[in-house]
Amino acid sequence: MKTSLFIAIILVSGAIAGTAHGLVNLVLVEPFLDSAIGIENQNLFDSGEEQATPEFWANYYSYRAWQKGGEILAGAILGTAMGALFGIVYSLSKNMLPGKNAVKKALFLALVMWATLYVIPFAKYPANPPTVGDPETIILRQTLYLAFIAISGLGALGFYQVYKRVNKKTIAFAGYAGLMVAAFIAMPANPDPVNIDSGLLAGFRATSIIGMSSFWGVVALVLGTLWQKLGLDRISHQKYQ
Amino acid sequence: MSQSKEIAISKSSVPKIAIIALAAVFALGLFVVGFDQGHLLAPVFGEQAFDQMWLHELTHDMRHAAGFPCH
Repeated sequence: MKTSLFIAIILVSGAIAGTAHGLVNLVLVEPFLDSAIGIENQNLFDSGEEQATPEFWANYYSYRAWQKGGEILAGAILGTAMGALFGIVYSLSKNMLPGKNAVKKALFLALVMWATLYVIPFAKYPANPPTVGDPETIILRQTLYLAFIAISGLGALGFYQVYKRVNKKTIAFAGYAGLMVAAFIAMPANPDPVNIDSGLLAGFRATSIIGMSSFWGVVALVLGTLWQKLGLDRISHQKYQ
Repeated sequence: MSQSKEIAISKSSVPKIAIIALAAVFALGLFVVGFDQGHLLAPVFGEQAFDQMWLHELTHDMRHAAGFPCH
């Protein structure tokens, strides 16, 4: 396999999936973000910290345009990053994955990574819209979130090694479940209160899940398809055997 | 017999340099979207990077939507 081709396919897959994620967010998540930021603005007016002057609104629309425009670019960057991780894991594990072709294998792996790196951490530290979150606790919250993702991801990797070595496969699943239950109990909750309309919160979180899920689905389909169409397994066989 | 041969080929077929490059892309991209608060542009713009947080604002909406703590 040509190294540059291998890297390019993985990065392109991630970028395409990330762009799709950004587009989904623009349509589904943005209305909830606008509503949440509207509440944030109202709180600033009520507290006297800001006044609803033409200058304030000009500033507001300017940075919201920057933020909304950035949704696609940030999606592409995050997608490329997560796609790189997905490509590493896929390339190292493809022969052990169930499925008769690259697309099915990639979809299976995406399902596992979606669950361990997104859904399970989300259950402990769910996404929150603007207005929720004290800037003073940002480092703590980032550390907790990253730590929980690392525990879940590395735990899944570790118990996969157990899965390969034991006859009774349920031991590995039970071990991973035990680890995550322990992490749920041991790790502190998000320290910030969530004082926001429950409908807005639920809508934001539901659309956020749809967006991230679309990423994992698209990255698997694109990488699996490219891998298969370009015959990367065959190329690697000839080159590196 | 043929199965064990296939696994051996796979292990030798993933170039290490590619894994390192992809891991670097992963770490950098994750930091840009999920964690930067002005750090990456600080070497160029100094304190202004932390005040303005251009990258943070650019990735703001995706950061919230992807589940990262934002502010």
